[in-house]
Order: sequence, then structure tokens, then C-alpha cells
Amino acid sequence: MITTMNKEIMPDKWYNVVPDLPEPLAPPRDSKNDISSINLLNKILPKEVLKQEFTFRRYEKIPDEVMDQYEQIGRPTPLVRARNLEKKLNYSGKIYYKYEGATATGSHKINTAIPQAYYAMKEGVKGVTTETGAGQWGSATALAASLYGLPAQIFMVKISFEQKPLRKTVMNLYNGNVVASPSNLTAYGRKMLKEHPDTPGTLGIGISEAVEYALDNDYRYMVASVMNVALTHQSVIGQEAKKQLELIGEHADVLIGCVGGGSNFGGFTFPFIPDGDDTEIIATTANEVPKFSKGNYKYDLMDSAGILPEVRMYSLGADFVPPTIYAGGLRYHGASPSLSLLINKGRIKSDEVSEEQVKDALKIFANTQGIIAAPESGHAIASMISYVKAHRNEKKTIVVNVSGHGYLDLSIFGEKK
Amino acid sequence: MRNLIPYFTLGYPDNETLTHFLDIMPVDKINYIEFGFPSNDPRYDGPVIRKTHNVGNSNFSDEVYSKYFEYFHKKHIKMYSLSYYSDIRNRFDSFIDYLQKRNFSGIIIPDLIIDYFSEGKKIINKLTEKGFEYIPFFSPATPDSIIKDIASITNSWIYYGLQPSTGIDIPYELDYTTERINELLPGREITYGFGIKTDEDIKNLMKNGGSGVAIGTYLVKMIDANDEKGFVDYINKMRGVLDE
Repeated sequence: MITTMNKEIMPDKWYNVVPDLPEPLAPPRDSKNDISSINLLNKILPKEVLKQEFTFRRYEKIPDEVMDQYEQIGRPTPLVRARNLEKKLNYSGKIYYKYEGATATGSHKINTAIPQAYYAMKEGVKGVTTETGAGQWGSATALAASLYGLPAQIFMVKISFEQKPLRKTVMNLYNGNVVASPSNLTAYGRKMLKEHPDTPGTLGIGISEAVEYALDNDYRYMVASVMNVALTHQSVIGQEAKKQLELIGEHADVLIGCVGGGSNFGGFTFPFIPDGDDTEIIATTANEVPKFSKGNYKYDLMDSAGILPEVRMYSLGADFVPPTIYAGGLRYHGASPSLSLLINKGRIKSDEVSEEQVKDALKIFANTQGIIAAPESGHAIASMISYVKAHRNEKKTIVVNVSGHGYLDLSIFGEKK
Repeated sequence: MRNLIPYFTLGYPDNETLTHFLDIMPVDKINYIEFGFPSNDPRYDGPVIRKTHNVGNSNFSDEVYSKYFEYFHKKHIKMYSLSYYSDIRNRFDSFIDYLQKRNFSGIIIPDLIIDYFSEGKKIINKLTEKGFEYIPFFSPATPDSIIKDIASITNSWIYYGLQPSTGIDIPYELDYTTERINELLPGREITYGFGIKTDEDIKNLMKNGGSGVAIGTYLVKMIDANDEKGFVDYINKMRGVLDE
């Protein structure tokens, strides 16, 4: 188990995959004819975040202040060899998991929340705002904002708000203000409530509300995922994992992660992309949100209201309202453009797993490794178990990213989803 | 001499106005000229240039512009077409034949290596065989390996868009941008475009080895305002800045 606080494991730069993609990344496109939604980003995102979104720099130096906070919240996170799981699965290869649940907020989300809040603070804005599904991102935003003395307004997808009251408590403890989305705080929320009073809410609606709120209140919007800058910040996961594997003389044959918008997945796997094609990479989604198998690779809206630019990605449509599944973080209709391109070109494979597979996987993982993983991460674990069963005698080294813990998601093991 | 390349969408705002501005343009101050053939889907342009395509589409007339093409040719101003591959894909050969007949030197195809990557090299080779310049269009989002690869099969100048689309203003690091492209393509003629507005922008780009600039959105705004004096003064001024 490599669980040292050795600062040398932590990278001092973020890695941006764009210069290493096999084809040019299609640029974002204005979603409306008469105004530039790309230009509007100047009023929505902190300038430095926007610059990093469009940069071609392969490496971006992590500010010292951010490095300090990374240490405070628990970086580097452990890379653990799952020997008990190997035994349980009777696997002749090796299984490692990178455990992002070990951060202060219990998921990878804090890795990008800290720099975004830092840049917002440096810019002197009034506060930050964002959407959240299952609550991991909202928790990370609330804490990061609090660390830099900024108020945070969080729009939590209504179904999760109702199903996960403890998440709201966590965000409140971090000084975040949380409302169920759609809400009465924005014109778009009021419109949605009027037209669809029973809507469970979606991340697309939450994003629309947060962006509108940022524009109206001189706040800055915090990007949870999808946009490249979030994946770049998350690259600390993959860079640490590479270093940890190197220290123990291992080479990853297979990397597996779950995909909502793609931030934990991209952050975990993209640092391995420049090393060549000999590492198999698998992106796992929920059966209920089959964006890679049933979605189209096309320009589509990131948010339901169409305030943000369109990007080319695998998408089930911005108006896609997924079932109220057990893993709120995977309900998003699309996936990051860089990840989508790599899937489209066949460099990254995709997999889909069912709720039953995920629950079984979470139970096995808890029984063997003692970790109660988040339902989202359970998809990656389920995918890894399927992989092991299909390649039992190949002696591969598999590394799976466990993007968060599931201590606030235990209700999925009850009768109610 | 560094290159000043004004851009106009043919047919915008109407044939009479555009030809008037072409008439008054101080032609001795420009090096090349870029004509946008109106597109049905100018997806990588910002709102100002997008609007010109939508309007230009219904106005473009070869009869009107062929004499201007002839005029610029006689003045030794190299002409380049800005055309989206999505518009010309089904009539590519005939469109290139048309451009060559009208004495164009080459073509800029902003969507070719983004949306039609697998066809890119075949199209570029076909243009080379026809003796027609393909102007590689790169942006910050173009991967290093693609920049080197595409540049290696062409000999022309490079069009580097500083922004994700025309006329927008996303913060970027000018020095690092120029350093990167200079390192990837040492000695190559690089013309910068997309979002260039101020003298300072141009001075810095030239100081860092740029070989020219393309100006579009800013000219459209002057044409929209029917600001003849401002238009002429601007071209003269940009020439001066480039020659400093």
C-alpha cells in the first residue's frame, strides 16, 4: 500500500491532454446565432479558469497556494493493491485501486474545486455558484469556497436533494447555501417549475440555473466536469497513480473508471495517454444513461437552457431526463469533448453496467477491501470485476479509480433507490 | 514585408456596398486578400462573421465579383478563398476549378481537419496536384502532432487562429502561443487571425516572429457603419504598424 504523504508523489503541474489528442478537438460553438455564448464565458468563469480551458499548454503549473490546500485535504491519495479482492475473484493478475474517497470531502471533486475557488477569490468576485447531482461536487465547492472566504450558492438536483438530506447538511457545514433545482432563485428555474412541476431535476437544469445566477449576481460559475479545465485539474489523480506505480515497479495494463461528465475518468486516465497505446482504458457508464452506446457524437448543449456554448461530445440530448437512478453523478446527458473524441477514435473503450451489477460490486468491494465506495465508483468496480472474469488467466495489472466513498449513499442498499 | 490580409464575405452586406469598399480600399497597402464564400453553416465563426455568411448567401453573384477578382489579380494581390468543406464537399473539384479560373492562389478550409480529418490529407494532396495552395488552418486546440504532420505536406503560409472562433475575446498568452508555433514550425510563415483588434496585438505578434495578420470582424463593423474613412484609415494604420 502506497499511502505516504510524500510530497514527491504529488505533481506540481496539471496535465492537459489537448496537445496529445490524435485529432484536433472541435472547438466550442455558439449555441445562439445573434450572441456569442463563447464570449459570455468571460462573465461566467474566472479569467484564469477560462484561459486554462482554452490553453494548449501540455503542463500548467499548480499555484503554491493550491498545492498547500491539496495537502490539507489529503493529497496524495492512496493507491492500494486489492489483494483481498484478487483472492476473492481468484484472479492471477493484480488489482490496484486509487482511492479518491480519502480526500476531506470524500471524492475527487475537491481537486478542481480548490483551484477554481482560488482563481475566483484572486479575481475579487462576490461568490461562486454551481450545480450538484449526488452532492459530491456541491460539497467540494462549498468547502473550497469556504477555504477562500467566498459564499457558495449551490443548485442541487431536486431528486438528490430529497433523497440525500445529509448531503445538504454537509454543504451547510461547509458554509454552502443549497437549494433544490429547479428553484425559484432563477428565471429558468421558475420556468421549469411552471412547465414541469413534478420534474426530478437534471444536471442540465442545475447548470442553467447556476450560470444564470452567476451572471445576475457577479458570482463565478464553478465547472464540475465536461469542460476541459476540470479534467486538467483532475489530472493530479492520474499523475499520482503513475508515480505510485513507478515507485513499486508496476505498469498499468488496464485502467478503469466511471463516467458522469468525465472529470474523474479523464483526470485518472489522460496522464497515461502520451505513453502510447499499450494501456487498455475503459470508461464505464450506467445502463440507464447509455451515452456512448446510444448517444450521438455531435455538437450539443452542455446545459438545458443553452446559455453555455455547444461542444462536440457523445450526448443523449440536452433535454434527456434520465431515470432517478441510484448514482446521481452519472445522470449527465453528455461527456467531456476530449473523452468523447478518444472514445470515438477507439483509443478508449466503453462499458455499461446494471444497477444489480453495481450493488453486487459494492458489496464485494466492501467485504474484501473494507471500503464502501460511492455508487458512481461502483460502476468502475463492477466493470473491473467483469473484466477480471473475462481475462482471468491473463495476469494483467488492472488499476481502477474509486472516485469517492459512499457513506452518504447507503440508502441505495435499502428498498428505495 | 509583413502580410496584411483583409477578409470580406462576398455579398455582405450587399453587392453594391461591398464593391464600393473594395473600390476605396488602399490596395497598395495589402498583400493578400481573403474572400469568404458564403457558407450555409459557418460553424467556426463568431456572431459577426456568421451574420455576414447568412446575408452573403442570398447576394453572392459571380458576375459582380469576377471583375474584382480580375482587378486584384492584375494588381498582384494574391487571393485566397475561405470556404467550409461542408459546403463544397459535393462539388469540390468544380469549385476548385472555378477558383483557379478566377485566379485565386489558394484556399483556407477551417473545418477540414476538424470535421473531416480522415479526408484531410487526400484533399490536401489533390490541391497540391492541381497546383493550388492549401493554407493549413491551426488553432490552440490543434494537437502538436497534427500541426507538424499537416504542415509537412504543404509549402504555403500557415493561418493560425488565436481564438476558438472569429471576433471573440478569450484570454490567452500571446508569448506562449507564438513560442509554441515557432517551435513546432521553425522558419514557417505564420499569419495570425481571429480576434486581433489592437495595434498592440499586432506589434507583439510581429515582434515574436509573425509574418502577418488577417483582419475580418473589425472591418465588418466598419462596413456595417458605412464608415469609409475609418475603413481606409484603419488599413493604412495597420500597414504602418506592420512595417514598424
